[in-house]
Amino acid sequence: MEYLRQLAAIVWKDVAVELRTRERIAAMGGFTILVGVLFNYAIDPTVVEPQAIASGLIWMTIIFGGMLGLGRTFHLEEEEGAFQGILLSPIPRDALYLGKVVSNFILLTAVTMLVFGVFALFFGLGFGGHPLALAGVVLLGILGFVAIGTLFSAISAGTSMGDTLLPILVFPLLIPLIIYGVTATSRLFQDLPVSEVDGNLRMLGAFAVVALAAGAGLFRFVVEE
Amino acid sequence: MSSKIRWSGAGLGFLGVALVLVVHWMVFFWVPTERTMGIVQRIFYIHVPSAWVAFMAFGIVAICSAVYLWLKDERLDMAAVAAAEGGMLFTAIVLLTGPLWGKVAWGTWWQWEPRLTLTLLLFFIYLGYFLVRSSTENPEKGKRFAAVVGIVGALDIPLIHVSVQFFRSLHPEPVVINPEGPSLPGDMLTTLFTGLAAFTVLFFAFFLFRYSLEHMKRAMVHRELAGEGSPLQGGVAS
Amino acid sequence: MAREFGPIQAVDGVSFTLGAGQLMTVFGPNGAGKTTLLGILSGGLKPSAGEVMLRGTRLRAGDPEWHRRIGVLSHKSFLYGHLTLEENLRFFGRLFGLRDLSVRIPERLEQVGLADRAKSAARTLSRGMRQRLALARTLLHDPDFVLLDEPYTGLDAHAAAVLRQVLTSLKDGHRIVILVTHNISQGLELADRVAIQVRGRFVYLGDRSEVDADSFERAYRERVEEEG
Repeated sequence: MEYLRQLAAIVWKDVAVELRTRERIAAMGGFTILVGVLFNYAIDPTVVEPQAIASGLIWMTIIFGGMLGLGRTFHLEEEEGAFQGILLSPIPRDALYLGKVVSNFILLTAVTMLVFGVFALFFGLGFGGHPLALAGVVLLGILGFVAIGTLFSAISAGTSMGDTLLPILVFPLLIPLIIYGVTATSRLFQDLPVSEVDGNLRMLGAFAVVALAAGAGLFRFVVEE
Repeated sequence: MSSKIRWSGAGLGFLGVALVLVVHWMVFFWVPTERTMGIVQRIFYIHVPSAWVAFMAFGIVAICSAVYLWLKDERLDMAAVAAAEGGMLFTAIVLLTGPLWGKVAWGTWWQWEPRLTLTLLLFFIYLGYFLVRSSTENPEKGKRFAAVVGIVGALDIPLIHVSVQFFRSLHPEPVVINPEGPSLPGDMLTTLFTGLAAFTVLFFAFFLFRYSLEHMKRAMVHRELAGEGSPLQGGVAS
Repeated sequence: MAREFGPIQAVDGVSFTLGAGQLMTVFGPNGAGKTTLLGILSGGLKPSAGEVMLRGTRLRAGDPEWHRRIGVLSHKSFLYGHLTLEENLRFFGRLFGLRDLSVRIPERLEQVGLADRAKSAARTLSRGMRQRLALARTLLHDPDFVLLDEPYTGLDAHAAAVLRQVLTSLKDGHRIVILVTHNISQGLELADRVAIQVRGRFVYLGDRSEVDADSFERAYRERVEEEG
């Protein structure tokens, strides 16, 4: 019970700070819209229909936009040494990690909704007839992404290379997520039956579970002095 | 202790080099040419054993890293570094020999063949392992970071493996050649197993040498810190 | 009630014992290892050898129960500039699992004279006010054992008076306080025990009653020059 209260305190604090500074959401939101604009000119419509590659573009936008925000997860704590203050409190390290995952997940869900909005508006995309299954695929996917990204942003924040290191550490690990996420999304866009993405959902779920368990177990070794 | 490790390394090294020479003799003069793929198939007696060693090395890295985080025994970290460096070398051999074969067999340098893709990703995980290790002020922190990268990488490898296979199954290629073939004739199997033995022995020779080198390096840093307050890594955390 | 503290074998052979209600000041030049000493005592850093005991409990680095009993005031405030004073305290209070925050927070803000600023963002505070808020955060969970790193630095006269008052009430409440500074007169003021740390080692450790300010200052300069 106290575990959940401590976890909730982290989430509440992160969301409150983000709502006031709007630092990360502004950067990620702006990035998303601009990427939509760039894609419009990067794709030759006489060769490819944007619809045909929409699921891949959407996932790449979420991943790249997400990296922007995830990389800053521990920077907002730096200014007055507040993170050290958290580490000197009795919060279990896994609760701290999971709290950070939840607040990053909330942030990334907001960005993802914006991504879908931008693609719908700019490319006139419909998203198929299974909104619930689509939401399941996307939310499980970003949960796994956030679980990996939060752990590794704590690592990259502790190195002299900082954010530049994050993609090198995270991208190779995200391959399963991209493969299952993109194929499932693409099938749902084509209005294939939901049973077609069952296996993908299971794999995305497995990825998220493994990533969360590893992060919760290993986070304390990353933050200990 | 340390000299015993070096002597074992030297012994294994001689044995490994001898075996590697034997394998090359077998590859060039002894083993029959595979009928469908022709002469180029012979590269697999180098390619497959390297891949085996690269993944075994990563297993060692992951296990040593996990136990290191638990026991904080310096020797486990040294073993993990030694294995990772050997692993990166053999991963590079796989990534060089794969496209060489691919150019002849597929007509293109690179194909998203699942095992080759997996090895490429493994190479980048190793790269991350060394980058986090070398970019922290406090070396202890770098060791822990690297251990976490090693463990998460090892947990992710099976998922990557399954997913790249799945992706491949969606995009079947016209020329699908199962590299090892379903059942190799006896002579080829003998050559392959000699290759596996040679590269495994050679890897452990590298591993022991690298381990004792790491051991000496750290002993030197210790001596300098204890002696004249060397400028090398001000170990006192603040 | 027996409240034992010590012996520490860390930061090069440092060892001492403090009783309940005692305040010890550790003097030392920059880089003497004072902050590292506080890091070990706070449970943030693992000592390479030796141990810390508080009322018969041995410190294990990263042990939540230890964190519950210790308050740390660092030279950084550990505050979030975009949260209000009240929110900052509520956040840390929740991390410590405190239940009575609606009573406790106004009380603590009153104690450090910031009650009227409860709803302003912490970044609008002056340096002295921020330090007072950091003090309220340090003491929010009523720690048995309080560590202060250069608490007087950058304080205006009012804030320094608040700090003095709080330290006195901690001593009256039988808490153990360790204060680290290089300012002799402020450090001696409320001390019961004094120590000088140079290059990681305690080169002097004694009762405050044994030293007078002037000769202590002279002795301090000598030791620092000798050793440093």
